[in-house]
Amino acid sequence: VSSDAVRAALVRRLRISSGITDEDVGEILSLPITVRQYPAERTVISDGERATECCLIAEGFCVRSKTIADGRRQILSIHIPGEIPDLMSLFLHVMDHDLSTLTPCTLGFINHETLRRLHQRNPNVAEIFWRDTLIDAAMFREWIVNVGQRPAPARLAHVMVELRERLKVVGRIAANSFDMPLTQEQIGEALGITAVHVNRVIRQLREDGILEFHRGRVTVLDEAKFQELADFDNRYLHQSPST
Amino acid sequence: MPRYYFDICENHHFVRDDDGQDFADQNAARQEAIETVASIAGEGFARSGSRQVIINVREGGAPFLKVSITLYVEET
Repeated sequence: VSSDAVRAALVRRLRISSGITDEDVGEILSLPITVRQYPAERTVISDGERATECCLIAEGFCVRSKTIADGRRQILSIHIPGEIPDLMSLFLHVMDHDLSTLTPCTLGFINHETLRRLHQRNPNVAEIFWRDTLIDAAMFREWIVNVGQRPAPARLAHVMVELRERLKVVGRIAANSFDMPLTQEQIGEALGITAVHVNRVIRQLREDGILEFHRGRVTVLDEAKFQELADFDNRYLHQSPST
Repeated sequence: MPRYYFDICENHHFVRDDDGQDFADQNAARQEAIETVASIAGEGFARSGSRQVIINVREGGAPFLKVSITLYVEET
């Protein structure tokens, strides 16, 4: 993957969510980016580490997570190509959680100093990135509601519908299936339930003819039931510039 | 790592686990069974009127552990 392809994923997403102008796109496309390949399940930046660059996902999936004293890990969010999961590190200098890869990833790194100069030179781009981190916060609010209030089957369905909505923006879904490359244990860490409970929920959803989950891929069997179970309202994703 | 199978029965609805999962040892599998039965019961009892959850754990082909929770509600 070339560094051009890395920038293109970001621009594609920003065009849909932020109504970015061609001039601003030009600014982003001219950013110097260092591309690095990462294997699956590798830490990109750790809790407590001082960040000097932001990470743009070009290919693959990442997660943000936090591990408590007894070793249990909470997955906080799932990230897809075109996203900058540690954009806040531009202003919050020491990481307060981990960013790691789920799958093999192509990551583009943008130096903080470069981004800061772009922010100062071009307030439009600064606003777009600000909006991006606010949407990030909106997604965290929804994640809290989901994990705190919905029963396990709806909780899983909600995470799946959200992921599909976001993958759609970057053109990465098929007719009725999409990637969600998490193991049952990782899904458990995201939803706050055990891997065995996840296994049971997945069986139940298949038995009920709603969806299948196999080797990190979701296939929707009944779209109406899937939507109803997930109790999903996409408003919090703010996927158009006017919302 | 040994493979454990968790057959789950909620309100007499039995679901056999043919996939299984690896755990470091029997203690880890026991802990998983206890957490899972509590978490399924917590949701099922409160939301769908379940009264009993049982998990039978097999290690390889052999029975290893049975964990169950039953809800009793009495008017006093």
